[in-house]
Amino acid sequence: MAGGGGDLGGGKTQRRGKKGKRKSKKRLGFRLDMTPLVDITFLLLTFFMLTTSMITPQTMEMNVPPEMDVPIEVKQSELLTLRLREDGVIFYNMGLDAPEKIALKALRKVVIDQNVQLKNRCIVVLKASADAPYGLVVSILDELNMAEPEILSGLKAAGINERKRKFTVAPMEAKDIEEIKGL
Amino acid sequence: MSKIKKKRLGFVLDMTPLVDITFLLLTFFMFTAKFKSESENQQKVEIKRPKTQADTAKLADKDLVMVKVGVDSVLKDTAWYVSMINEQDITSLRQAMLEAKFPGADDKTVSFKVTDTVWLGKIVQSCRVVNPKASFAIDADKRLRYEWIERAVNEMRKNRATTFNFVTEKRQGL
Repeated sequence: MAGGGGDLGGGKTQRRGKKGKRKSKKRLGFRLDMTPLVDITFLLLTFFMLTTSMITPQTMEMNVPPEMDVPIEVKQSELLTLRLREDGVIFYNMGLDAPEKIALKALRKVVIDQNVQLKNRCIVVLKASADAPYGLVVSILDELNMAEPEILSGLKAAGINERKRKFTVAPMEAKDIEEIKGL
Repeated sequence: MSKIKKKRLGFVLDMTPLVDITFLLLTFFMFTAKFKSESENQQKVEIKRPKTQADTAKLADKDLVMVKVGVDSVLKDTAWYVSMINEQDITSLRQAMLEAKFPGADDKTVSFKVTDTVWLGKIVQSCRVVNPKASFAIDADKRLRYEWIERAVNEMRKNRATTFNFVTEKRQGL
């Protein structure tokens, strides 16, 4: 690779093996003009640098219960229902309590508190309106995911080392829509 | 005359390290570059993925059924675009769909545009038959109504595909 530098001017033809009268210089190696090589390399480098996108898509794994004819009964008191209205307002309620409005940012704290208080038995149900934007649904799921580490440490402080996550997505029923209407 | 008596007008710069580094970078970018697949070429929808912050996994690059939900930029209608990642799966799925007389399918289709739930159910079922190991991923635009996702999820549930992924984008910074 040596000899790359120096002859960037290029273009001069070299005489090899001819022992002329004028130049009596000994050439041991040979010179290779690296300019075109470097040119092409830079061109390719620029191309690949511009076309590569470094951000690869991420995924969020979800589990839904399979279709079953037999409904499974759960304790109302352990049920944390999150409802997302079509205008993007989130409501939450424990069991049979009246639904309360909640901001997306405040959601994490509620979920953590309830999970720690109920010592792992809390079931979170998300009911999203058919007209709600999908982006907001994912944001709620993201908040729930981000709550997990804190729930874990909260449970650990309460002496529970195992975490069983109970979360499901349920369809919004007419009853649900009625309940949060006009709130 | 002494041996070396040459006039130097310019100066000599050793380009070797520069070329070395350039080659290194070139190789790096060449290996990391990923080109658009055929199915991505066919689709005319632009998807703005929802951004998430939590630690999420990378999208699998095989055994995957991609369900894209997006708005067609020309026709302005929302549709599901179902495709599979593995090459042989696409071929089998295409065959199954041609047998079922899927509207608009020909022997070059790699991404099936579905607009009604009945066909979505059929295509999901075919995907399950073609590759039972394949997992489902929903890649939807964040501005879409949730109904579109809910309907797709319901079809998957009917076909016992209870685990699936939402494709998201990692939010940069905090």
